Amino acid sequence: MSSLRASVRPVVQAAKAASYRSRAPANAYATLREIESRLKSIKNIEKITNTMKIVASTKLSRAQRAMFDSRAYGETSDEIFKKAETVPATEGNKLIIVSSSDKGLCGGIHSQISKAVRARLALEPDADLVILGDKAKIQLARTYASNIVLSFNQIGKEIPTFAEAQSIADQIFKLGKKYDSIEIFYNRFKSGISFEPTSVPAFTEESLQTSPNFSAYDIEEDLAQDLTEFALANAIFWALAEGHACEQSARRSAMDNASKNAGDMIGRYSILYNRTRQAVITNELVDIITGASSLQ
Amino acid sequence: MSALRLATRSVLRSRQLAAPWRGSFRGYAEVPSDRIRLNLTLPHQTIYQDADVVQVNLPATTGDLGVLANHVPTVEQLRPGVIDVVEESGATKQFFVSGGFAVVQPGSLLSINAIEAYPVEDFSAEAVRAQLAEAQKNATSGSEVDQVEAKIELEVLEALAAVAK
Repeated sequence: MSSLRASVRPVVQAAKAASYRSRAPANAYATLREIESRLKSIKNIEKITNTMKIVASTKLSRAQRAMFDSRAYGETSDEIFKKAETVPATEGNKLIIVSSSDKGLCGGIHSQISKAVRARLALEPDADLVILGDKAKIQLARTYASNIVLSFNQIGKEIPTFAEAQSIADQIFKLGKKYDSIEIFYNRFKSGISFEPTSVPAFTEESLQTSPNFSAYDIEEDLAQDLTEFALANAIFWALAEGHACEQSARRSAMDNASKNAGDMIGRYSILYNRTRQAVITNELVDIITGASSLQ
Repeated sequence: MSALRLATRSVLRSRQLAAPWRGSFRGYAEVPSDRIRLNLTLPHQTIYQDADVVQVNLPATTGDLGVLANHVPTVEQLRPGVIDVVEESGATKQFFVSGGFAVVQPGSLLSINAIEAYPVEDFSAEAVRAQLAEAQKNATSGSEVDQVEAKIELEVLEALAAVAK
């Protein structure tokens, strides 16, 4: 009786072993390959984001130096409007200039500035938009496409030059439309890890001439227009330089976070891979041993 | 939200200026009575920032202009030429500028925004001559835009040729 059971048992066990051999190892191998390829791609991504972080760090130091120079330049340009106590016009044609850039992977830079501009457009839906940079254009074109009069790309690749700011200002004047108030939206650099969407007015000839303290200045008739046009180019240059510095710092921290996350995932997947690999080996051993013992 | 922020900002601005005027917008001590505070800034470089100097000579489009302490507030456009800065130590520095704006603010503050400015010593007469010849060639050939650009270049270079050694 027991010998019968004993002879049946190995057969049953062999059958069970056979079914294990066909099910578990095949699945485990497939999963093992999957995990291996995922692990490889995450390692690649970690290398890429790490490189991008280093590049952004070096660009940031240069961008910050350029930003401080541009701040001194822009503040000097602004001085007359401060002393003359110029205020922007509240009615008439309004122009909003949005300073952004073409490249992504920089955290909330583009979405925050677009949010600030959208909030302003909710209050002044007839304002014209001039957008510097494709990313902001994509975001704003979704809801305010009809307001966009001019858009520029190839912005943000390198530190902005005054020539760029000048040609942007020139194109705005070439539009031929007389604006009563101009406002520039850009990201202000608060620190290496924080920025703030801000707006500054670029005063027009009329705003300057109607300023409370304008009479203190001895100025020739036609110079006011030249001065305000020059001041617009200066303000655009300042906005571009600050925006560039903000973008590099945001990209650095975004890529830093991405590298850290990738590092975490590599750790998790490595452990999973090893465990799965060992499970596969164990299963193979079980098969072999069961097979061997069933032949005994 | 941002309208509110802007309104607050302009209110703050006027409130700041209603306070007793202290000379420089940066809130430093008042400018000494026989000095002028100079800000000479370029887009990519700041040559003088809040520097108290004795005298500044400017090449304005309306003619040459010397600015001393307590000069009447003026706005002048700069033509290509040399800016002389007489510093407190007595030394005079000369910079060639291609253009820009100079504003004398109330309170003996001189704000100059120049596009390009370099010490006169840094220029070589030969390089200027070579560039001059090139620009003269371009002024008579090429598209209209190129010709106008070359004419502007000529204006700057001719002023520079008079100064470069």
